[in-house]
Amino acid sequence: MSRILIVEDEMHLAQGLRFNFEAEGHSVDITERGEDALTRLVKNREDFDALVLDVMLPGKDGFSVARELREAKNYIPLLMLTARGRPEDVLKGFESGADDYLAKPFNLAILIARIEGLLRRKNWSRITNSATGDHARPDADSQDSFRFDDKIIDFQNLQLRSGSNIVQLTVMESDLLRYLIRNAGHPVSRKAILQEVWNLHQDTDTRAIDNFIVRLRRYIEPKPSKPRYLLTVRGLGYRFLSNPEH
Amino acid sequence: MRITRRTKAIAFFIALGACLVALAIALNVGWMIFNWRQAAPLVLGIILFPLLIAGLVMNTIFLVREIRRNEQQDSFLNAITHELKTPIASIRLYLETLESRPLVEAQRRDFYHIMLEDTDRLLGTVEQVLKASQVRQGSLRQSWQGVNFNEIVSDMLELTRLRQHLSSSALHWGSKPSDEITVIGSAEELRTAVFNLFDNAVKYSGEEKNIVVDILTPNIDTVALRVLDHGVGIGRKELKRIFARRHGGDAYAESEGEGLGSTFTMRLPRVYRV
Repeated sequence: MSRILIVEDEMHLAQGLRFNFEAEGHSVDITERGEDALTRLVKNREDFDALVLDVMLPGKDGFSVARELREAKNYIPLLMLTARGRPEDVLKGFESGADDYLAKPFNLAILIARIEGLLRRKNWSRITNSATGDHARPDADSQDSFRFDDKIIDFQNLQLRSGSNIVQLTVMESDLLRYLIRNAGHPVSRKAILQEVWNLHQDTDTRAIDNFIVRLRRYIEPKPSKPRYLLTVRGLGYRFLSNPEH
Repeated sequence: MRITRRTKAIAFFIALGACLVALAIALNVGWMIFNWRQAAPLVLGIILFPLLIAGLVMNTIFLVREIRRNEQQDSFLNAITHELKTPIASIRLYLETLESRPLVEAQRRDFYHIMLEDTDRLLGTVEQVLKASQVRQGSLRQSWQGVNFNEIVSDMLELTRLRQHLSSSALHWGSKPSDEITVIGSAEELRTAVFNLFDNAVKYSGEEKNIVVDILTPNIDTVALRVLDHGVGIGRKELKRIFARRHGGDAYAESEGEGLGSTFTMRLPRVYRV
């Protein structure tokens, strides 16, 4: 049984979600304010398996809550559920650290499928970690990991390992890295990233991607201001090099 | 990124305006230095350059104001989106639950009740939008007549207590004039405006509610309705903007309510007279 925390100030919606998640066999807690969620997750270190987060909340909004959670190195699978469904809102959600984003009104079956997907991923990560030990290296040749220089990206567990250092990635960071690696050596446009990674086809401001790239550079580059692996292609987008010339 | 884009645009226009003003001042000073012995160009420069600077400042102010107005419209659109989509999402969630899960009769009844409440909320929002639009167009003055303002406030006070399940001490009269106060206007519009004020006071009062209602008549042709709650309050900087935005200031930060009521309530007195 998984524990899900719902942060939603609309009680009718929160109760409806609780009913359905409980019917799926999960245990559910509800809180109306983002500050309370932060206290429970960051300060009290309560153990939840997934977080369903509204954006328009009294007090701190969902974007700030997600950002603060990630800054506090809390990588709980996070689904944003909000009435704000414009592409720029979706991007802002991912940028703040959400793993998935669903606009209201939503389809119940899709919501449950997405939550189950996040829980499954968390479960895989837990099983792998308990079977091999937290600091064990994944198989570098396996399909779900990628090695370059002294770094290994473990896509299954959403981890980037560099020596003894482990960085936990969000689902979106991992997906973006996977896409760049799949196109290693070739420039990829911001537009293509939007379409292929975020599934956004509308005319959206592509600069939001740049913030993701800045974050990824912080993880993989020895000097993020002088990138070697993740290069900017002026006027187009980015190019990933797994083996840059020294 | 519309909002981010506008914030950047404001910064750009302010910076551009400041640079142009600085350039104009430098040119002005330079002009004076180079032409200090020639009276005609000196006088011309002293007159024209300040005009140029004033034009630049005005232009920057108008641009920034326009961008801010667009931002407010964006906030309002977000508010409406939220207020319309939330009850629809809730109704849909319960309908899908009713359709896909085995439920006992009591649960079904609960869900029907919740859906009815959400439908009422949705209807309320739609009515607020329509009324706000009517008031914007100057209201339907042909239907105005003399209405008893005391009675309207009294009725709405009772209605708010009933709807919000409040005790008489939570929402009560401070001073109520004994004489009848007649206002020329639409009773329905006034009821909506007064109810919105009470409703907001309740929403923003927190757990301990002590809301005092006064009707004041500072002079012969003015009537004032004062609703005093003891909630979190509104910061001075936010006061100017509370009617233009969805939420009543940062302290409330997108609490319940969509701001439509506030917009309606603010516009109404402007078109009314006692």
